[in-house]
Amino acid sequence: MTATAVIDRAPATRLPSPPGDLAIWIFILAELLVFGLLFVAYAFARAGDVALFNHHQQELDQAAGLINTLLLVTGSYFVVRAVAAVRGGSGRACALWLAAGFGTGVLFVAVKFGEYADKFAAGVSLSTNTFYMFYLGLTFFHLMHVLMGMVILAAVAQKAWCGGYSRVEHAGVETGAAYWHMVDLVWLILFPLLYVMR
Amino acid sequence: MQYKSQAVAKPYFIAAIALFAAQVVFGLILGLQYVIGDFLFPELPFNQARMVHTNLLIVWLLFGFMGAAYYLVPEEAETELHSPKLALALFWIFLIAGALTVLGYVFLRYADLARLTGDALFPTMGREFLEQPTIIKIGIVVVALGFLYNIGMTILKGRKTVVNLVLLIGLVGLAGLFLFSFYNPDNLVLDKYYWWWVVHLWVEGVWELILGAILAFVLIKTTGVDREVIEKWLYVIISLALITGIIGTGHHYYWIGTPEYWQWWGSIFSALEPIPFFAMVIYAFNIVNRRRREHPNKAATLWALGTAVMAFLGAGVWGFLHTLAPVNFYTHGTQITAAHGHMAFYGAYAMIVLTMISYAMPKLRGMGEAASERAQLTEMWSFWLMTVSMVFITLFLTGAGVLQVWLQRYSEAPQAFMAVQEQIKIFYWMRETAGLVFFTGLVLYVISHFVGGPTGAKAKARA
Amino acid sequence: MNATALRLRPCTRVWVMLLALTTASVVLGNRAGGWAALAPLLLALAVLKGQLVVDHFMELRRVRRRWRALLYTYLVLVAALIGVAFMID
Repeated sequence: MTATAVIDRAPATRLPSPPGDLAIWIFILAELLVFGLLFVAYAFARAGDVALFNHHQQELDQAAGLINTLLLVTGSYFVVRAVAAVRGGSGRACALWLAAGFGTGVLFVAVKFGEYADKFAAGVSLSTNTFYMFYLGLTFFHLMHVLMGMVILAAVAQKAWCGGYSRVEHAGVETGAAYWHMVDLVWLILFPLLYVMR
Repeated sequence: MQYKSQAVAKPYFIAAIALFAAQVVFGLILGLQYVIGDFLFPELPFNQARMVHTNLLIVWLLFGFMGAAYYLVPEEAETELHSPKLALALFWIFLIAGALTVLGYVFLRYADLARLTGDALFPTMGREFLEQPTIIKIGIVVVALGFLYNIGMTILKGRKTVVNLVLLIGLVGLAGLFLFSFYNPDNLVLDKYYWWWVVHLWVEGVWELILGAILAFVLIKTTGVDREVIEKWLYVIISLALITGIIGTGHHYYWIGTPEYWQWWGSIFSALEPIPFFAMVIYAFNIVNRRRREHPNKAATLWALGTAVMAFLGAGVWGFLHTLAPVNFYTHGTQITAAHGHMAFYGAYAMIVLTMISYAMPKLRGMGEAASERAQLTEMWSFWLMTVSMVFITLFLTGAGVLQVWLQRYSEAPQAFMAVQEQIKIFYWMRETAGLVFFTGLVLYVISHFVGGPTGAKAKARA
Repeated sequence: MNATALRLRPCTRVWVMLLALTTASVVLGNRAGGWAALAPLLLALAVLKGQLVVDHFMELRRVRRRWRALLYTYLVLVAALIGVAFMID
């Protein structure tokens, strides 16, 4: 059975639980809950002062946000390829794909720092107004998760490179992958919400 | 008892219960002073009795945690405690220091206590729950360091289990965060900001790790369920606790002069703080449900399940009721706070210590796996008396708080504090009555340890 | 690995779709300024992208339905609540 077939076949029997350690999925659900609440809070805070939010939203670097979205999506894709590789029995290829994913994370962080540098130079802080409080707070909170995701990818990549996973035993890779996808999923809502929706 | 050195836990547990009883006595005095303001004035005014009540709570819980650690760490690490002698020495130091502190609170004017203990050299006194003289605080740090050294060395030379490590991290966190009690900024906003680094990050942070670890240990021992299953749940629970609780500290930063963004971040994260407690309820009942053995210590199992439920209700639900900033704006510092505080502390921390004592005492006393059925029955009665009366204390204080908020803050024509207190007196009388029932339960609890009946082999045979 | 235009791996197809949908959302968001249905549309696109990640990257398509249902519910619920907030003016 090739790796491709494993990923795309609509199964006759379903797996009882998602790939990777069940504990990470509890974690993922909790994280999604927190972010979900933050998103809804943002939306309702915005409803309280639409003009303020619309005005300052235009001061955001939308291009940077778009680039970051494309980076994270690509990173997730690389991680999917990594899981496919280890399922095909190739630990080294897996590690390389994970490293590529890590790389997209590095670029994401760099772009984000650029955005922040720009804002801080303009004197913007958490206390400037409600919009910026959410913008800085939410993106920073997400950034922390990107960093966490990168640490996880690096750890898994290192183990994969050293042959720590096999065709049959690679739950660690799937676990790390799931976390990374969560980080991506969150950003897919965050980006349009903060940067685009007016 | 698998390791001889586990025996050092016994004096810690006995001290814990004795101090618990003293705490409740002072609680009854305070409860009466709410309605008869001059009761015991001027010998023991409200503010002095309160210091004793709250400080005793913390000290007896600390004795309980230390006893729990001394009991479970050698068993988890599968090796004798590093130094039983040190453990006993620290016991006496802590007990005497604690006794001196309480005597100081009761028999001296606070300002005189401060002068006598040289507070002016390094002022740390005068803050709620941290009223101890600076030299006593230093003593607490010394005791804590000695304790951590002892436990740490034991774990280092033995088996490192998840339970052990989570407990150790919790205890190290407890000690480390206590150091913030030495940081006493002049700026009142900063003073309060850092005060919560001790209080919140203790009870809504590292203490939850201690709670989780002890609960896991007792469940492993009494249910026989796979250690790995229980340890995985423990990881999930403490992760949820830390994720929600750390930024959740912000729910104490709404009105003290810190930036407004805390009203958002504190509300959102603290709203989620009940989740780990809810998970603990599911976990505890689930584990007990799929137990592989019928452990003779039924009382311990009751305490364990009760802890999970009461912690969820007191800390989780009652905490949630007043955690959102728009609600807290009205309820801050009212009897709602007192309602939550009592059920939370009892449900989470008093009960987990009592759970551990319930499990360990029969073994420490050489009675076997469990006390006699009659003793257990008495103990279970005491569980119900204390727990149900605490629920009533909480309900009455909630009633008092709701009326207080309505009359004093929310209504069109808010009334003054004392005028409102007059009108909520009925709730205080009811609370005091419930408090007396609680005390009765506690007395029964002590008695249960002296109730005889067939133990050991006969108890095992019946199980 | 077959990466010809006609036979991309399914995950590669999903990746390309995500890139395209993201770019489309931005373009749409900037062009259709005052259009009332814009916010719901952008939310719908976000939900769609989320669903692609959930099904194909997180691989919940192969798992018991309840997990998929949970994540779908999350996406739809969050989007709906945001949508409601955007309708309040």
